[in-house]
Amino acid sequence: MTAPATPAQDRLPAPRSRPWSRVYGLGSIYAKTMRDSRLAFLIMAGFLGGVMFAVGAGIPALLSTQTARDDVVRLASDLGSIVAGMAGKPVDVGTVGGYISWKYGPIFLIITSLWSILALSSTLAGEAKQGSLEFVVTSPFGKRRIAFEKLAAHVTMMALVLVILTVAAWSTAAIFGKLPGDAIPIDAAIGFALWIGLVALVFGGLALVLAPFIGRGGAAGIAGAAVFAGWLLNGFSATVPAFRIPADLTPWAWTWNHVPLGGQYDWASLGFTAVVAGVLLATGIEAFARRDLGASRSVRSPSLPRLLRGLRSPFSRAFSERLPVAIGWAIGLGVFGLVMAGASRSLADEFNKSPDLAKTFATIFPDFNIATAGGFLQLLISLAYIVVGFAAATLVSGWASDESSGRLEMLLATPLTRSRWAISSGLGVFAAILVMTAITAAAIGIGALGAASDAVTPMAGTATIGLYAAALAGIGFAVGGFRTSIAAEAVALVVVATYLIDLVVPALKLPDWVHQLALTAHLGQPMVGIWDPAGMIACCVIAVGGLLLGGWGMRSRDVAR
Amino acid sequence: MTAIIQTEKLTKSYGSHRGVIDVDLAVEQGEVFGFLGPNGAGKTTTIRVLLDLIRPTSGQAWVFGIDTTVDPVAIHQRIGYLPGEFTLYDKLTGGDTLEYFANLRGGVDRAYQASLIERFDLDPSRKFKEYSKGNKQKVGLVAALQHRPELLVLDEPTSGLDPLVQQTFFAVVRETVADGHTVFLSSHVLSEAEKACDRVGIIRDGRIILVDRVDALRDLAAHLVELRFTGPVPAGEFEQIPGVTDVVAEDHVLRMRVSGPIAPVVKAAARFEIADFVSREPSLEETFLAQYSGRAAG
Repeated sequence: MTAPATPAQDRLPAPRSRPWSRVYGLGSIYAKTMRDSRLAFLIMAGFLGGVMFAVGAGIPALLSTQTARDDVVRLASDLGSIVAGMAGKPVDVGTVGGYISWKYGPIFLIITSLWSILALSSTLAGEAKQGSLEFVVTSPFGKRRIAFEKLAAHVTMMALVLVILTVAAWSTAAIFGKLPGDAIPIDAAIGFALWIGLVALVFGGLALVLAPFIGRGGAAGIAGAAVFAGWLLNGFSATVPAFRIPADLTPWAWTWNHVPLGGQYDWASLGFTAVVAGVLLATGIEAFARRDLGASRSVRSPSLPRLLRGLRSPFSRAFSERLPVAIGWAIGLGVFGLVMAGASRSLADEFNKSPDLAKTFATIFPDFNIATAGGFLQLLISLAYIVVGFAAATLVSGWASDESSGRLEMLLATPLTRSRWAISSGLGVFAAILVMTAITAAAIGIGALGAASDAVTPMAGTATIGLYAAALAGIGFAVGGFRTSIAAEAVALVVVATYLIDLVVPALKLPDWVHQLALTAHLGQPMVGIWDPAGMIACCVIAVGGLLLGGWGMRSRDVAR
Repeated sequence: MTAIIQTEKLTKSYGSHRGVIDVDLAVEQGEVFGFLGPNGAGKTTTIRVLLDLIRPTSGQAWVFGIDTTVDPVAIHQRIGYLPGEFTLYDKLTGGDTLEYFANLRGGVDRAYQASLIERFDLDPSRKFKEYSKGNKQKVGLVAALQHRPELLVLDEPTSGLDPLVQQTFFAVVRETVADGHTVFLSSHVLSEAEKACDRVGIIRDGRIILVDRVDALRDLAAHLVELRFTGPVPAGEFEQIPGVTDVVAEDHVLRMRVSGPIAPVVKAAARFEIADFVSREPSLEETFLAQYSGRAAG
């Protein structure tokens, strides 16, 4: 064969490695993993640091007198067994640190644990699934070293976030604290951050261990379920003795007496938690090193009946694809709603025993009786808004995946207009939200009936939660009409911004118009039957308008690959 | 003949990145047109404009005489498309996937669908995520073919297919064309184009550099000549001859590329003592590579 060789001058020059590429995170597996998690780091640092700073600023303003603090202490101790179900251990709750730890501690821990689970379930198993890990493992490094470097990067990022959390806790109390005891010593802030980080690494480590065996999704699902199950089991073990044994298997129980922001330390429990985390992480590395790459066994989920497989149209396909995710969120929301609605009976019992307590609550919540299922759930509505908000973000992410995965290219080569795809598949997402809302409402109804409380009002109120989720999805569709790759992120951003507005505006006594920017400020108190029709109509308009805008946006742009 | 695909000065740019520039193409009914070019040349960009997945920056494209930006659905009703890279629904089986696409189109002949599944040796009961790359490609091919489209647009259709399935694919293409339908396929593999195509277009750096019949393209090829001398190699004698390029001397062997008449080279060679004389027409692949590297053989 005498085919001419390509002349040297025609060849492209080989790319030179740039000296600063190492700074970009291209110098090692460790640095590349850090680089890949920079967005997650920013979100987590912003969220944890921001919430800590905001609540630290708000508490002294909200509870500005010693009398108000004494009331809170009394409430926390009187309602111990009930409130513990959704809050942390009440220790010195009359101070800024004690109050933060009691009311917001579990939220910090849950959010950080979910981050660790997502990161550690995907860093190896997720990459193995998408194939990029095959390139990495054929580089001249052992599998253990690769796993170790990736794990070290996550731990580094978490440490940096926890440093920010520590500084936020210490500084917010120093700046805004008003009463004696409000200051948070630096060792208390460090102890709190260490608690958050070590417990999160236990759950993340569990995901890391499971991922090589059952894949990313299954590992994240089981570890995530362990987080919430541990929270509920431990929180309600005083009310339901049968929960005690399984609760004791979780870090929630091991570290129950470690409340550093309240001035109570249990370093031994943290040491034990650190050992467990270390064992799990080491086991995860070893499992990755010994298992065949990417040879995981999926957790078999029951197949949908043929009718629900969604083979008729983009609407039914989108509904079918999103349904398992919606049901998953509904189970989480439903269990939470069922337990909380059921717990309202205990609250009513406490009120019966202590008329003074009932009177105090009536003063704080003059609009409704919190000893009913609806009233108790209304107290927790902001948590429900966050959860359905993230549910909407994941559903929108699934909707957008038609384009990001490349499926849309094949779909649009059929006689299907872009607008019809966007609108039909968006309606499928709305249908999934409807199912999620219905399941949640049913669970709440069962819980309320169990507590011998009015079930109809909170069940009807759940519709507002569904409308809020639909409105968020509408925002996602509107953004996705122009760029699907950021649709879910836009929804998540709105959810976080709304939560922060709800949290910060009253605390910092910002003008009311700032609070009015949050859609949740216009939804009334639906769990107790106080409706705000304007807000509900706004939700509908945003949902439908967003969908139509998304359909219109799709018409006029290139389809991405 | 009727032009099924036609483009006129079709240009697509992505900001500062080149897509395709001034592409003029005409694909006639009943032919297999091969669209050839190296990676990043603009093949997929052209195909995506034809399907209205992306919009031209300037110029126009028509499929079945319909402007692609005016009524893409009318075009999509009559085509079958296989993208170069695609993923489908992980949780659906291959059979479910094909049923979904059949439902989106309507009017799919189930017997024909079944025959394609059988010919491509596809197990439709497995979930899409469990398929190998080749089996995923088979699902895509059946989805593109099952409604007997008038025009098949296939972006690197044999990627991942084993040789036996490739044979089946080419047989199906021949049957499709025999029915009067048209096939537009992009490929890197010249032997495929040689085997399957009536005409080919070569695109490089976003521009069409050649469109011709496969036979004519081969005719454009230069001869590759190799002379083995018994004595020193007189390379200078041959470099002077018009049409001779790429002269390379190695020991007693002189190699060159000869475009146009070969007689002057033969006459020059006759003046020396020759141990061997080999003249060979290059394969289409070599011609193709010459086109790629910017030195048209003809």
